[in-house]
Amino acid sequence: MSQLKNYLSAAVRIALGAVFIYAAVLKIADPVAFAGSVAAYRILPYFGSYLTAAALPFVELACGLLLVLGYRVRSGALIIGVLNLVFIAALASAIVRGLDIDCGCFKQGGEKTTPWAALARDLLFLAMTWFVLKAEARRGRGPEAGAGPEAPAS
Amino acid sequence: MKKNWLGTALEILLIVALSASVGIAWNRTLLTSAWRGEVAARAEAAPAANPANAVAEPMPLGLMQVKELLDAKQAMLLDARSTTSFAEGHIKGALNLPLEEAGRNPSRPLQVKVPAEASLITYCNGFSCHDSMELAKILVKAGYANVYVYEGGFPEWRDAGYPVAKGGS
Repeated sequence: MSQLKNYLSAAVRIALGAVFIYAAVLKIADPVAFAGSVAAYRILPYFGSYLTAAALPFVELACGLLLVLGYRVRSGALIIGVLNLVFIAALASAIVRGLDIDCGCFKQGGEKTTPWAALARDLLFLAMTWFVLKAEARRGRGPEAGAGPEAPAS
Repeated sequence: MKKNWLGTALEILLIVALSASVGIAWNRTLLTSAWRGEVAARAEAAPAANPANAVAEPMPLGLMQVKELLDAKQAMLLDARSTTSFAEGHIKGALNLPLEEAGRNPSRPLQVKVPAEASLITYCNGFSCHDSMELAKILVKAGYANVYVYEGGFPEWRDAGYPVAKGGS
């Protein structure tokens, strides 16, 4: 039973990581279009949109890789959780303000994902993050708690 | 346990700082040009490095510029969205030219006769919509010299309270 649970948590962890790697690569490929998507939320000032478009996909990529590799999972998952909360807040504000925009979550300028659909998807990702963190905490209480190489996580 | 959380917090800071720096370094040229407010100009500079395929890029226009050009009747406005979206509401005076339709006949995208030096402004559903830019590129390739993209598009125009129309095409 606990073996099955281990497999399941590993599957969720890798799936979540893969989603973030996929999202990151699409954005890194077209930073100008992603900056446009960020600007469409009308939250950040002009340069802020570009700064976000430059930095955010790489943070997503790093966290996605950590989750897939199973290295420093707690940190990676926590960042992904916070990012998801930020995305949810941005989407909710877009809905409240009645902005008819594309989510900009994955492929830029492709077919449009409405804020509602994106919100539902982000909630699913948040639940997956929660699951990964729980599984990680369970594992952390095991015999080799806190053990691990001391190399910087990157 | 407390120390453990401190370690995680440091780890998080390190991961975010490192990956964000990589991202900023990766996009440093884009960021410097955005800082100077000349991202639109960057697209122009790029083909200059390779003069063989130097095609004029469509230039972005802001809400006020579009309004002035239209009021002065100095430009023709093209709606790149679908016929349905156009019928639901469009900028008053615009002509509907769905991107798909223009793409089917890229050498002669416009059905009406328009001089090659006329100013053409394309728009669609605002900043998240790229059809206007695609349409503008088709028009440039077809030989129109003065093609502009109104990036704010229909949502910005409507929200600004400027004249809109419904139906027709």
